[in-house]
Amino acid sequence: MSVLLSVVLRLVFWVGVMCFVAGIALIGPARLYELAHELIPKLRASAVPIAGLLAVLIASAVGRGALQTVSEVIAFRLTGTIYAIEGPFVAWLQATYVTPELTFYFSWIYIYGYVFLLTFPFIAYAALPGTAALKRLIAAYALNYGIGLVFYTLILAYGPRNVMPDVVTSLLYTFNPDFQALTSEVNENTNVFPSLHTSLAMTVATFGVLTRREYPAWAVISVWIAVSVMVSTMYLGIHWLVDVIGGIGLALGCVYLSYRLVEPDEPIDGGAEDVAAGEDTATSPGEDGSATG
Amino acid sequence: MTRTTSRRSVLAGTGLAVASAGCVGRVRNIMGRDRSAQLSLEIRTVPADADPNAVRIARHLSEHLNAVGVDARVDTMAQADLSRSVLLNHDFDVYVGQFPRTKPFDADALYPLLHSRFTAETGWQNPFGFTELVVDDLLEDQRRANDERRAEVIADLQEAVCELQPFTVVAFPDALTAYREGTFSGWGTSYPNSAQGLLKLSHVREGETTDDDDPVTLRLTTTDDRITENWNPIAAEYRQHGAFTSLLYDPLARPSDDGPIPWLARAWEWSDARTLRVEIRDAEWHDGEPLTAADVAFTYEFLRDTSMGEAETPIPTPRFRGRSSLVESVDVIDRSTVEIRMENVNPGVGELALQVPVLPEHVWSEYTDPVSIAGLAVDEETTEALVWNNEEPVGSGPLRFVESTAESEVTFERNPSHFLRRPEALESVDEGETEDGNGIDEEGGSDGADADEDDADDVGVDGAEDNGSGATDEDENGTGDDGDSDGDNGDSDNGDRAGDGAGEGSGDDGSDAVRSIPEAFHGKPSFERLVLEVVPSDIAAVQLVGDGMADATASNLGPDAVPRIGREADARLVSSRSAAFYHVGYNARRAPLSNPRFRAVLASLIDKSALVDDAFQGYARAAASPMAASSETVPDRLRWDDETDEDPVYPFRGSDGGLDVDAVRDAFREAGYRYNESGELLSRDQ
Repeated sequence: MSVLLSVVLRLVFWVGVMCFVAGIALIGPARLYELAHELIPKLRASAVPIAGLLAVLIASAVGRGALQTVSEVIAFRLTGTIYAIEGPFVAWLQATYVTPELTFYFSWIYIYGYVFLLTFPFIAYAALPGTAALKRLIAAYALNYGIGLVFYTLILAYGPRNVMPDVVTSLLYTFNPDFQALTSEVNENTNVFPSLHTSLAMTVATFGVLTRREYPAWAVISVWIAVSVMVSTMYLGIHWLVDVIGGIGLALGCVYLSYRLVEPDEPIDGGAEDVAAGEDTATSPGEDGSATG
Repeated sequence: MTRTTSRRSVLAGTGLAVASAGCVGRVRNIMGRDRSAQLSLEIRTVPADADPNAVRIARHLSEHLNAVGVDARVDTMAQADLSRSVLLNHDFDVYVGQFPRTKPFDADALYPLLHSRFTAETGWQNPFGFTELVVDDLLEDQRRANDERRAEVIADLQEAVCELQPFTVVAFPDALTAYREGTFSGWGTSYPNSAQGLLKLSHVREGETTDDDDPVTLRLTTTDDRITENWNPIAAEYRQHGAFTSLLYDPLARPSDDGPIPWLARAWEWSDARTLRVEIRDAEWHDGEPLTAADVAFTYEFLRDTSMGEAETPIPTPRFRGRSSLVESVDVIDRSTVEIRMENVNPGVGELALQVPVLPEHVWSEYTDPVSIAGLAVDEETTEALVWNNEEPVGSGPLRFVESTAESEVTFERNPSHFLRRPEALESVDEGETEDGNGIDEEGGSDGADADEDDADDVGVDGAEDNGSGATDEDENGTGDDGDSDGDNGDSDNGDRAGDGAGEGSGDDGSDAVRSIPEAFHGKPSFERLVLEVVPSDIAAVQLVGDGMADATASNLGPDAVPRIGREADARLVSSRSAAFYHVGYNARRAPLSNPRFRAVLASLIDKSALVDDAFQGYARAAASPMAASSETVPDRLRWDDETDEDPVYPFRGSDGGLDVDAVRDAFREAGYRYNESGELLSRDQ
């Protein structure tokens, strides 16, 4: 347990530092200060999606074991099929690009970059005048987890590192076995399709692009980190290309649904412009999304 | 196994056109023939997290199959799922796995594995569906033959098995264990993850920690989480080697390299050629009930038929089947004596029947009904006993169950009333209960036996791990024996003895060598608790040992984990030769795997020596015969040729790791198989 605890503490510390720095640089001290006063009412206004997200997370945490058992009985076993579709793509990726520097970078991205990418939008969108962006973000997270859980129950497949250890090194766990204590707590090694790392990162990047007027720098940063996360899942031998493509599809679907589910903000003091912009892009999140992938 | 367009759909499409053309008869002649399609084979195995070696063998075979025109796929699945599909449901084409015995075994282990009478049974009872009269006869023969002739029969048996390839032996792995210096010693003296190996461990700092409230705890890590959910000693899908359940459930005798060690049985003798009279030690179950001869009699009846005569046909256990099939009946003579009646068998083989876990009648007699879900009978061929998780195991072994968190960890504790912890119980053996006088020699004999047992595993130790451990080894309860220093001596002379570690009881001992329990076991186990923690991979397992969070790894380590051990300051590597050979199993119920010629070509696709070098990084030995761990039983013709590094029966068709595709295609053609224009191997009967 203490291995897990030390990993978690390190993670919390570094993500906290990154969020603080990014908050000052991207949101600005003044808005952050305002946020401190508005936080409670904003969270109250977002109660429904927050409840939804918590429900999905709790269901995932509590029911994962049971679902895994169900999965073992009913699931489609697709490891061989996925390999038949894409072949040794991940092996080629590793054979072509692996260097110690990149391994360090992608390991860092897979854990720290990813958690930062998922955490920071909470602060950034809470600091916006309306609540629609925050609600949509939370709703999209909940949808990602919820739909992901259904896929994981129906599809049993192992990632490349488990299937072709002769040509794909499990880079993350070979060099940072501590991390496996963390990832095995939150996931089973049979849950690879779709890649939830990819879909959540893609979700954040899509929102980042959609809110580029409010946070132009974040649009660039989020896309950069999200693309890195997607590459890292394959580079580290954890996911197949098929999983990543599936994850991108899931993300775009979830962003689309979140726009359908969450009404835009009421037009108050000049917010109309933002809302209009949001509505525009909402109809075609796919276009923006494909630009990032 | 094949994907073809159905004949009916083709007929529907062409039916109208040809009917009008007026040549219906000709069309019938054409369409009435099944057409061939490319052969596809699914190779099942466990993922790299569970076993880093098996999936490499599967990949190797799959790539070579694809190269010669077979559509082969590797499908990974959890160990329990794999066991279910292979051992229980026989629903597989090809699998890659390990034989379930880690210690060199007697050739009779092949009896349940390959005899055709077991094809309908579950577990390691002929999962291949292999039915060859020649092999059946040899298997029967080796049970009955006297010692001199038995060696010949076993040699013939191995030749037949290697020829017919019901499965292809790939290699005998070195079981690698990472352990931590300082808390326990004795890792290097025996296969550390067998029940016996764990029992022999000695706590190093005796006395220092006994004042604390913390019990002396042995912490092991494993990637196999099945032991956190199921403790049923007869459930084949949940047991790998059964080391932990065998510490919960004592057998009458435990195997050693010098013949069986009397365990729950205090002594035995053949009262006539067919009757083995067994004296049972004074013991009790973990729930306090006394263990009696009635429990032993119940056990044999139950192993043969878990419905205890209630079912239409007997429902035998999927484990221990070979051994229980030796027994015809068991008579209770008095409270601590039974007579086991067998067919006319070789005494060495007959005594193998003693190596089954003794089960408490008062617990297991409740589980003899056919399985039901919510009161509805669902399967008349399965009893509750076979599917029971046995949540609170009641055994009589040196460990008892404490608690478990599913998929996370399981805790066992020392059984304080076990006979190993009662010096008087062990001494009573020396009185010479058997009347043939051999009891007198036991004191002297047991020391030698002890050392032999420790070394014959061909244990290699990395680094100077044993330095000084002999000096600190002492028995916890101060009986002052030197069991472990014996072990150290044994270790130093293992070169001399390697090779004569006979298969347990392969006829050498017979009835006249009932010995006492070796001193290495006296007063053991020296830990009060055993905690087994589940980790996600072999590398994480080694990491926990390196970080001081665990004393040793209990599951397989792959080549990527080995260099890591060297980098951890207090971690050491010990490797011991394992008899749990890796093999490729074929489902002979399915064509074309039913054809021995076809299997022979498949065998020649496996480059065993390349796999040993690459997949196992040298921590294995290639072999042709499943008996290669007991090398003295292997006929010369089947020995691995170290000069050429080639399989003596079906050498790899290729050289320097490269497959000779044309040669393999020729071999398939020669065996009667055909290729289509795009080079796909065709199969008609799938």
